Amino acid sequence: MTTSAITTDQLTKSYGPKLALDALTLDVPVGEVFGLLGHNGAGKTTAVNVLTTLLEPTRGSAEVAGVSVTGDPRSVRRAIGYLPENVQFYDNLTVMENLRFFAQLSGLRRPDGRIRDVLRILDFEGHDRQRLGTFSKGMRQRVGIAQAILHSPSVLFLDEPTSGLDPEGVRTLRETIVRLNSEFGMTIFMNTHLRSEVTKTCTSIGILKAGRLVHHDTLERALSAFPGEDSLEAIYFQVESEPAS
Amino acid sequence: MGNPSTHAWVIARKELLDLRRDRLFAVLVAFLMIATLISVGVAAASFRTQIDAYNLYVQQLIAAGSTTKPAAPTFFPLQLLRGGVEYLEILGALFAIVLGYGTIAKEKYRGTLQLILSRPIGRFAMPLGKIGGLAIVWAAVVLLLTAATTIAIVAIGNAPLQPIDGARILIAAIVAWLYLVFWSALAIGTTALSPRLSTGLIVAIVIWLAFVLIIPQIGDTMDPDNQVPGGLFATLQIQKTDELKVLANFAGFDAIRNGLEISSITKHFERLTFAFLGIKDKYNQQTLDFVWTDLWGYAITLAVAAFASVAFAVGATTRRTLQRKIS
Repeated sequence: MTTSAITTDQLTKSYGPKLALDALTLDVPVGEVFGLLGHNGAGKTTAVNVLTTLLEPTRGSAEVAGVSVTGDPRSVRRAIGYLPENVQFYDNLTVMENLRFFAQLSGLRRPDGRIRDVLRILDFEGHDRQRLGTFSKGMRQRVGIAQAILHSPSVLFLDEPTSGLDPEGVRTLRETIVRLNSEFGMTIFMNTHLRSEVTKTCTSIGILKAGRLVHHDTLERALSAFPGEDSLEAIYFQVESEPAS
Repeated sequence: MGNPSTHAWVIARKELLDLRRDRLFAVLVAFLMIATLISVGVAAASFRTQIDAYNLYVQQLIAAGSTTKPAAPTFFPLQLLRGGVEYLEILGALFAIVLGYGTIAKEKYRGTLQLILSRPIGRFAMPLGKIGGLAIVWAAVVLLLTAATTIAIVAIGNAPLQPIDGARILIAAIVAWLYLVFWSALAIGTTALSPRLSTGLIVAIVIWLAFVLIIPQIGDTMDPDNQVPGGLFATLQIQKTDELKVLANFAGFDAIRNGLEISSITKHFERLTFAFLGIKDKYNQQTLDFVWTDLWGYAITLAVAAFASVAFAVGATTRRTLQRKIS
């Protein structure tokens, strides 16, 4: 029985001469809500893309849910849920039709009951027959979460989940993330550049700078490791201002 | 967990549902349908006028006390479908490219591609689902056009069709379907391979220009056959038998011209449909056996080309090519 949901060892991804992810070594235990912080272009999305098997690493190794992302990527895909930044759907299709499509691709044969359950969990009942063309960003994001958890993944990857949401949408999403972790036991890996989000939802954090992981700790220890700082935001800026090794 | 064929079918069904509600698709099909129906309808109306004129002439002769009945003019109702074939040959191919391009491009620029590729689907599920969906769409469109134009030549032209005509129309419809699948699969492949979405469309359209317009036009220009309006033999009013004697002295020229024409997939489609529908004089009123014996090579080549195009699309539509950055 593995106690790590995500482990990486010297995980590296380069695009030609550009190093997007530089020897990332990381361990995220089962049941954590891990927040990966960093500026735009720090390599957060590349990290998620490699861990979700959308990209192959240049070097190093990674396991998600105990399975190697390069050795058995299809098994990794069965175990994960994924919400990309600015998620889009098929606007000509209804919520139910969109979710049925993704559920069937995830291997669910008769998914309608499960879809209704998930929409109930997300307080999104009553929208299943609406087409997505008319939906707001916040509503799309909830459908995005729904498609990511339909098949009850053990690890959920969220790439900038609050990007573009209004304060109400941010609050709803934050509550959903906490609930998915506490009630359904999902390990959550979340990319964000918003420090406030991490403070309110995450149990551990990592800070990525120019592709390198410059800090990784539990949220509690991170706060206590910098006694002079009273917020994660201050810690973040302190770590960011240090020269990359 | 689902198997690869199940995933391909799931993707194909989504494609069908999405296209059914797509306005661009509705406009393209409506345009093709209207253009084809106008062409066939006008030809059918002309056909009916000629039949009516003949019948009126016969009635007047009988009324005048004549006992001799003039020979009925030779009308061939399937030849009325020529306009429909030509629209499919040019516009159909172009629309097939647009739909093939759209089915990949939409996934890329919408970002839904990432959601699909993060699922445990097989290597071939995505291309087979896309091509399968479009193959079903084109089968439906061709059947719709075939039914509409057949009804038009019967209802407007009052043209009597024989059971064998049904078989000829069905063969022509299958040939048209293969031809359209060829173009859609080609566009899927070029779009998947191109880092820039627009490049995939442009490459497919350049191939369309070459094979649908330029090569056949060069072949037609070089063709002295008197069935072409303005052709050399027609202008000189030389009969077919004499034309063949003359052409026997220019076998090399004709071989080059023919070779150029048959390098185009469009000419294969045209020659097959024109032959089976009796639009080409040589095959008019001939048995299906006769046509098949003469043109089986074209049928095989068209089928192989369609298969090769599908294989190209499947080979080109990989995770690696699909995940290239959109620019």
